[in-house]
Amino acid sequence: MKKRSMETSLAAQSPALIRSIERRLFLKRSLSLGALALLSGCELTDDEGVQKMLTGMSRWNDRVQGWIFNPHKLAPEYPESAITKPFPFNAYYSEEEITEVDGKSYRLELSGLIRDKKPWTLPELYALPQTSQITRHICVEGWSAIGKWSGVRFSDFLARIGADTTAKYVGFECADDYSTSIDMATALHPQTLLTFRFADQILPPKYGFPMKLRIPTKLGFKNPKHITAMYVTNEYPGGYWEDQGYNWFSGS
Amino acid sequence: MPGARKLKALVAAVLAAGPLVYAADPRPGKPMKMDEPMHGEMKKKGMKKGDVKRAAEEKRREMKSAMENEITGALKK
Repeated sequence: MKKRSMETSLAAQSPALIRSIERRLFLKRSLSLGALALLSGCELTDDEGVQKMLTGMSRWNDRVQGWIFNPHKLAPEYPESAITKPFPFNAYYSEEEITEVDGKSYRLELSGLIRDKKPWTLPELYALPQTSQITRHICVEGWSAIGKWSGVRFSDFLARIGADTTAKYVGFECADDYSTSIDMATALHPQTLLTFRFADQILPPKYGFPMKLRIPTKLGFKNPKHITAMYVTNEYPGGYWEDQGYNWFSGS
Repeated sequence: MPGARKLKALVAAVLAAGPLVYAADPRPGKPMKMDEPMHGEMKKKGMKKGDVKRAAEEKRREMKSAMENEITGALKK
């Protein structure tokens, strides 16, 4: 019944609009097919030539995803009642091995195409105008959870430090040795936040103290925790999981 | 009265279990066992926790050099 009503409502639309939707669906499905092999990071073969070809396809996939990324489209936000409790911990190590960062001596290091590379202390970062969001964290492993994060809009921070926002990439280094990087369009997205609080409390170590980049338009592994350094560049930085074959863009 | 005693015992047991539950919550800060296999579903066969540290050191070197060249190139223009 529902299907028929949807078909009826689609029939009422102009053929041009339907063709446009079909083109988008085709593109999305083609990308999904690529994602089956590439997003999963599966090693189909160890052969160097095949690996090289798959890497090339993945980088092409990144470019297409970047091209269809809508910098104004917002990820869904949720009410407080939808928050997942407890929020899952996820990392390549156990909870006992979480890196402890000393907030007093902490400095956020900046490099690359940034005008003011002065390191930032936590009190300086906490003094920036803050905003909150309740969004869904989606993990490439197949689970998702809703949480509340608060912090400064990343676009505001990039403007404040004089980052070259015409550059292609923003890269991150973390206290637990993790690294990742994102495209500039996502960095400037209004929901991309440099967060210092989780559930209205200072970020606990398990969720990334002192700082986590929250990007609700990307998969969880593109949301680095315990950030200690960031840089802006036109040189492709990759990242730990990305260099293992996981799709770099990994977003919508 | 026996009912009240049972209730007291139950409350005492719950209160006593509180700190135990809290103590069971893992405390961070233990040194990472680098030779152990990674946690999580993203890992591939044979990946160890120490691989991330080695990759980070290599990437830091590569990106430092690439960005120095990038800035030098930009200054020359």
